[in-house]
Amino acid sequence: MSTLIGAINASASALDAQRARMEVAVSNMANAESTRGADGQPYRRREVVLATKDHDAMSGHIEAAGVEVAAVVEDQAPFRRRFEPSHPDADADGFVAVPNVDVPEEMVDMLGAARAYQANLTAIGLIRDTVQKALELGK
Amino acid sequence: MPCTCVTRHLPCTSGAPLDRVFGSGHVTEGQVGDIFSDAAITAALGRQMTRAVQRQAVAAGNLANLDTPGYRTREVRFDDALNAELGGSAMAATDARHFGSAATGPALPAEEEVAGLATRRDGNNVQLDRELLSMGRASADFSAAQTVLAAKFRLVRYAINEGR
Repeated sequence: MSTLIGAINASASALDAQRARMEVAVSNMANAESTRGADGQPYRRREVVLATKDHDAMSGHIEAAGVEVAAVVEDQAPFRRRFEPSHPDADADGFVAVPNVDVPEEMVDMLGAARAYQANLTAIGLIRDTVQKALELGK
Repeated sequence: MPCTCVTRHLPCTSGAPLDRVFGSGHVTEGQVGDIFSDAAITAALGRQMTRAVQRQAVAAGNLANLDTPGYRTREVRFDDALNAELGGSAMAATDARHFGSAATGPALPAEEEVAGLATRRDGNNVQLDRELLSMGRASADFSAAQTVLAAKFRLVRYAINEGR
């Protein structure tokens, strides 16, 4: 039973991680044109770093490996520059630094996160069926 | 001496003690009823369910790490354990000083990385369809064992209730 609970926990951790990934992609898209952040700089694209949760495969105990968001890092790629002299944030040459966000890239990332979310939801459903089946033995 | 066997195996004339039914006693030569005893079947079904659950858990772990860079697909392998088991029973230990006696116990199934899968650029080689298939198959295995076990328990209950 604890194996099954562990498996559900692993899948739940993945749902959490994928949701975080979607949230970050959404915030990137929402801020694709934000030229002024809290520090006065344009918005920097954020990225989620996923890592496998501590899992001892050598212990001989078989269990599901969960996943966690290890960090959310800022993309250090340079800002794009757009010629727009009328913009209040334009520099002396009339260029505006706009966030280093590529909207199609974010869309693809969101699709990937949505698919992974779906897959883990399916996994939870299958595990739940197994638990249900096991409980039926007691009827 | 009256027979104490609780299972319906071959006609019992030996008056075998109760513990033989549950497999802890030694096996008498020439008896074929052993592997058909209720306890053995129940234990085997239990093992099948445990293995199915383990396979499902490992597949769930793989799915959870679908997008983790550097994660390698894991799998539970039973063939090594099965081979060890088959090889182990061929050589009977008739003396406590014999090597490789049954005291070492059955080999445990191991969790291993799977070789030969296409690896993505981030070093991850989890394949969605493979893992979902593995989960579905384990689920079906579990279901099958559960159905048989439930039938077995129904029979026992029937016997306990004296056919009522």
